[in-house]
Amino acid sequence: MIRRTLLAALPAAILMRASPLRAAPNDTIRLRDLYNKDTSFSDLALANQGLRVNIGGFMAPPLKAESVFFVLTKMPMAVCPFCEPGMPWPDDLLAVYAKRVIEVIPFNVAITVSGLLELGDYTDPELGFFSKVRLTDATYARA
Amino acid sequence: MKQFLLSGVAVLAMTAAVSAQDLPQAASPWFVAGQATIAERLAVQPITGKAKNVILFTADGNGVGTNYAIRLFSGQQAGGLGDDYVQPQETFPHVALVKTYSSNGQTPDSAPTAAAMNSGIKTKNGMINVLDTVNVGDCAAGATAGTKTFAEIVSEMGKSVGVVSTARITHATPAAVYARTVNRDWEDQSGKPADCAQKDIADQLIDQMKAGVIDIAMGGGRAHFLPTGVKDIEDKEGKRTDGRNLVDEATAAGAKVVFGSDDFAALTMGDNAPVLGLFEASHMQYEFDRSGEPSLAEMVEASIKGLQGNENGFYLNVEAGRVDHANHAGNLHRVLVDGKAFADAIAKAMELTNPEDTLIIVTADHEHAITFNGYCGRGSKITGLCMVENEQGVEHTGEANLAADGKPYTVAGFLNGAGSVLVEQADKTFSGSRPDLTEEQAIDPDYLQQALVPMSSETHSGEDVTVFARGPWAHLFGGTIEQNVIFHVMNHAVTAQ
Repeated sequence: MIRRTLLAALPAAILMRASPLRAAPNDTIRLRDLYNKDTSFSDLALANQGLRVNIGGFMAPPLKAESVFFVLTKMPMAVCPFCEPGMPWPDDLLAVYAKRVIEVIPFNVAITVSGLLELGDYTDPELGFFSKVRLTDATYARA
Repeated sequence: MKQFLLSGVAVLAMTAAVSAQDLPQAASPWFVAGQATIAERLAVQPITGKAKNVILFTADGNGVGTNYAIRLFSGQQAGGLGDDYVQPQETFPHVALVKTYSSNGQTPDSAPTAAAMNSGIKTKNGMINVLDTVNVGDCAAGATAGTKTFAEIVSEMGKSVGVVSTARITHATPAAVYARTVNRDWEDQSGKPADCAQKDIADQLIDQMKAGVIDIAMGGGRAHFLPTGVKDIEDKEGKRTDGRNLVDEATAAGAKVVFGSDDFAALTMGDNAPVLGLFEASHMQYEFDRSGEPSLAEMVEASIKGLQGNENGFYLNVEAGRVDHANHAGNLHRVLVDGKAFADAIAKAMELTNPEDTLIIVTADHEHAITFNGYCGRGSKITGLCMVENEQGVEHTGEANLAADGKPYTVAGFLNGAGSVLVEQADKTFSGSRPDLTEEQAIDPDYLQQALVPMSSETHSGEDVTVFARGPWAHLFGGTIEQNVIFHVMNHAVTAQ
């Protein structure tokens, strides 16, 4: 290993040892990385619980106008995924509670959301929307 | 025997003719392989005995184009370039192109296409096993215009019947094995008009189990069998609003009911009890995401072994239902993983049956708006970028082809869907340009291939699908046929004298 590469690699290696799974402030986590195959929370999700993280995805068409709430999906997805009545949402989505009333971004435009990661079952008292993962106090921008 | 001898003479004659030609390309591996194919074709003999068993495989939405993509994906997953890979069904000796339009749709949905295969007629989009003289949703007219299904025909011959799907077992393709409906969406009674006497699809499945027509049914769709207020083993609530618990009713009628991979693995077949497998509240998981549920191949293996207990034979209808759903989502990766799982299930059925007595048919109900770009060098990943051909060799150069906008593009795309490059603007108009794209982004399992027309769900198309067949009377498939002919081949095969 040449000296310059070694020096560049050192801080990252130290950081990795200190907190191997904690997301760095500028990292963007993929939605699917929050879950294991059996839809239990991944070690990455557990390690970042309560911390501010960036997660990439897409804004599903909002369920309610003038709201701070929207659903982040891993793939562009309209309200009715397969245009069938009563089709449920997929399990691996994320509820976002923004700091401000949301400005709608089309469902097929990639966005990055920054917020505090909350894990655990929660049913929104106003919308009745059930979620397992949330980002609160969130801001977002086009990716 | 006479036919066989004649074929042998033909092989000798052909070999002699080629030798006599003394062609300079005769030693090329391509040329030799072509000769071998001709020899194989000359050796094909029709099987004209009565079919004891019939297995109809449908990958929902797996038309010629989607099947091509699955072939390349499977070949590339196996370490090859992809194009020359041979899927199990592609070894079958008899093939035809199938016209899938319905009686009122240039583009069909899965209801009339499944009815075509199970009843021998074309009907209207949205209807299953009801004549096309009836209007969609007309309960009263539909009550007297139902067909007799292939399952009912063979059940009267003493055969057993199984239906397996990775979609909801009440979804259109599996429903056509056991139900008649003027509206495919009435999977439970909650959406059905109060004055409609037609039973919902889940209710009809339990009726057909009680009647002895259906012996094995496995797929998703628990919510349509449970009432509201009752939660399933995954804590998801039922949808029925009539208070009926069809799972309890099936159990009371003697059915074995299983909900996950563990109780599925513990199933004992062959003791004449019907089997109902309901592995999800809605559709089963995509193969890429599957956990805690049996694979399609595992369900097919269990079904065949169970149905083989009947010495009179069986009819098994198998659907890979989620090839269609991933296409609707515009997510090619999951299309292809489910397509490979479909092929694995076919291979398992081939292994467990004998072509002398079992007719296996592999087809699709319809195609999608999937499209393919060029000119890609060999080995370009089917989910990835279209790479430049290598004029000095075989495999692509590693450089991506660029479009007129200076950006790379993928091998496959969709004509419409959620992957549209057009984005809704503040004034409600749509405009946009193609995003930059890397190979790493394109081959990500969650990537949506670029599409043109913006739609929330990518659509079916009316393009032809293929039918592949082996076994008794499989040679009746050939040329370009109407989809309802598939029923007529099955019906001839089980009734031939």
